[in-house]
Amino acid sequence: MSDNEHDFQKLVAGLKVNDEPDATHRERLRRQMLQTYEEAARGGISNLKFQISNLKRLAIAAVVLVAVVMGAWALLRSGGPMSFDQVQVATEKMPWMRAAVRGNQIAEGRLVHHWYNFAAKLTYTTMADGSVLGWDYGDRRESLVYSPRRNAIVVTELGPAWPFGTDSGYNLVDAFAAFAAKDGVETTTWTTEYEGKTVRGYEVEATVRGVSVEGRSAARLRIAVLADPATRRIVAANLEYLNQAGAMLGREEWAIDYPPSGPSGLYDLGVPAGARVIDLRQQPTGTPSDEPVVIPTPAPTGSRNLVPLEIKLPRPQFVGTPQDARTPYLEQPRGRPRPPFLVPPGTTNLAAGKPVSASDREPLYGSLDMVTDGDKEADDGSFIELGPKPQYVTIDLGERCEIYAILVWHYHKLPRVYFDVVVQVSNDKTFRTGVQTVFNNDRDNSLGLGAGTNLHYTETNEGKLIDSKGTQGRYVRLYSNGNTSDDLNHYIEVEVYGRPVRLIKDN
Amino acid sequence: MVAIMAKPVEQTDYDDLVELAKTQAAAMGRLYELYYDRIFRFCVHRLFNRATAEDVTSTVFLTVARMMRGFKGRTEQDFRAWVYTIAANQANAYIRKTSRRKRLMENVVAARRADDQDSGESEWSSLDWPTLYAAIGQLKPEHQTILTLRFFENMDYDEIGRVVEARPATVRVTLHRVLHRLGDELRSDLGGEE
Repeated sequence: MSDNEHDFQKLVAGLKVNDEPDATHRERLRRQMLQTYEEAARGGISNLKFQISNLKRLAIAAVVLVAVVMGAWALLRSGGPMSFDQVQVATEKMPWMRAAVRGNQIAEGRLVHHWYNFAAKLTYTTMADGSVLGWDYGDRRESLVYSPRRNAIVVTELGPAWPFGTDSGYNLVDAFAAFAAKDGVETTTWTTEYEGKTVRGYEVEATVRGVSVEGRSAARLRIAVLADPATRRIVAANLEYLNQAGAMLGREEWAIDYPPSGPSGLYDLGVPAGARVIDLRQQPTGTPSDEPVVIPTPAPTGSRNLVPLEIKLPRPQFVGTPQDARTPYLEQPRGRPRPPFLVPPGTTNLAAGKPVSASDREPLYGSLDMVTDGDKEADDGSFIELGPKPQYVTIDLGERCEIYAILVWHYHKLPRVYFDVVVQVSNDKTFRTGVQTVFNNDRDNSLGLGAGTNLHYTETNEGKLIDSKGTQGRYVRLYSNGNTSDDLNHYIEVEVYGRPVRLIKDN
Repeated sequence: MVAIMAKPVEQTDYDDLVELAKTQAAAMGRLYELYYDRIFRFCVHRLFNRATAEDVTSTVFLTVARMMRGFKGRTEQDFRAWVYTIAANQANAYIRKTSRRKRLMENVVAARRADDQDSGESEWSSLDWPTLYAAIGQLKPEHQTILTLRFFENMDYDEIGRVVEARPATVRVTLHRVLHRLGDELRSDLGGEE
């Protein structure tokens, strides 16, 4: 134990705190806990694989024997061992599949429901918070997102990514088949009991891309499904999302049935008829002002040569996940790397290690110095989280500088859009005088700083490059006002590229 | 992770209990008795509030109850790491989700200062709980977890590493930095006193 650890240990030992448990709470929770334990055993499908204790082995042996005989009978009746291909065919013959999903990342006591129409390749999902999502993988190739908070349906084109992180497969059955078809992936099968019936289990585990659970990236997905030999249809499923180290990030239990009909659209799933429809496919795309251009005033640099700005990018965290965009005027993805941005020689990141202040002095997560610490990765320990509603961070460059480019990474782990992004430069640390706005997509002037004309954009590992055209100032301030996932504001890193004015004059 | 996996697993008298608890309610109840106090105290030291700690403790054990039958671990050491991981995640999730945390912290600190003044036990010339709580509250949730596991749960670096999914060396370095930062915060709170 190091000296400072030893000192802290002594300090803690000398302090008092009332951490005595309350016997009433302990006993009440004990009853609840055991009830939950029993319910999980009876109703859940968490015990998909037979787990037999030593003590119960003899007692259960007879039941196992009966189950095996019944399973064998079912297999014989169906003409032999049931392959997953047969299960897939029988399941997808049904007009609709409905799944009631509960999971440890879903709010307690609330269910998420999925609806699949196999013939039309439609998927609907009703979320616990009242959101309703729809995907048409058939003719229309569109995604619909209803947000109860905004009472609006946002329509976008389908992205290139697939649900469940597979290379194909828009529904659970297809995803399972896609995993099973991968090289090196084995399908485990077994026979067990589910709701009083002998059923056949199938399990695969494979790597996935672009899937995250509560903001944490999942590296592998384990899917187990149970199929009824009598109908050959899937009756239950269990999904486990794992990180790179194999730790479980989230778990879902699906109880499945096959209603004869399903919703004809989002409105059948509780979306109000008066909900506003925002079709992003009809919005203008791209702004010339957002494209990198040659710095127009290189003369003060004393040199006519411009060089490409070297930007070290963090690792990408998702590949083409469908955008959860809820705002118009969204910049379409470029679909290729950002072209080089030219700057005068000697341009550096002036923000590196510089002090940062914020409207929210105490971030809900992280510390303000992380905005300029050079860590641009979207890892859990690399971002700060500021409170809801409009918030800003201010970087003090230490002296007046000529600024050519500002790069900002809000949170590129998910394809979010941050609202009301405004970037200003000033020599006044209070931003009351001499304020120059270099970027503004606050189109309805929510912040009261003036309506902007720039487009909203989706977060990626490339960050947002803002051409500040040689604007001079000591302080850089960046505003935002929540994002498409929540009302909070995040920053992973901000870089400010330019040169101190005194060096330019010296030249 | 290799180093963690390669470490010999400590055998305890309760290893069988963990296996039995996957299928028997009585064994599950016994495990609960073994761990309730520890997890509750951990939550108190992470969340600074008894009522909140009880809520989070409830969530932890209800989660354990739901998932116990699928728990892959075989030893009590596995179970301990698992249940503390759930507790740390739940505490961190609570901290992140509540925008009332700052107010909660202020209330706790104010209440404890008032209690100390009433009892006449505390001298402002020395460090007290309110000051320490306020300083710990400035740290990242993950760092608070490591600090709590080390000094209030007396876990070694290996055990902490299993809970927070980090190498023991990483835990040691992180703790070193956290203590330095905490020292700065405390000196600042105490008006620059060493």
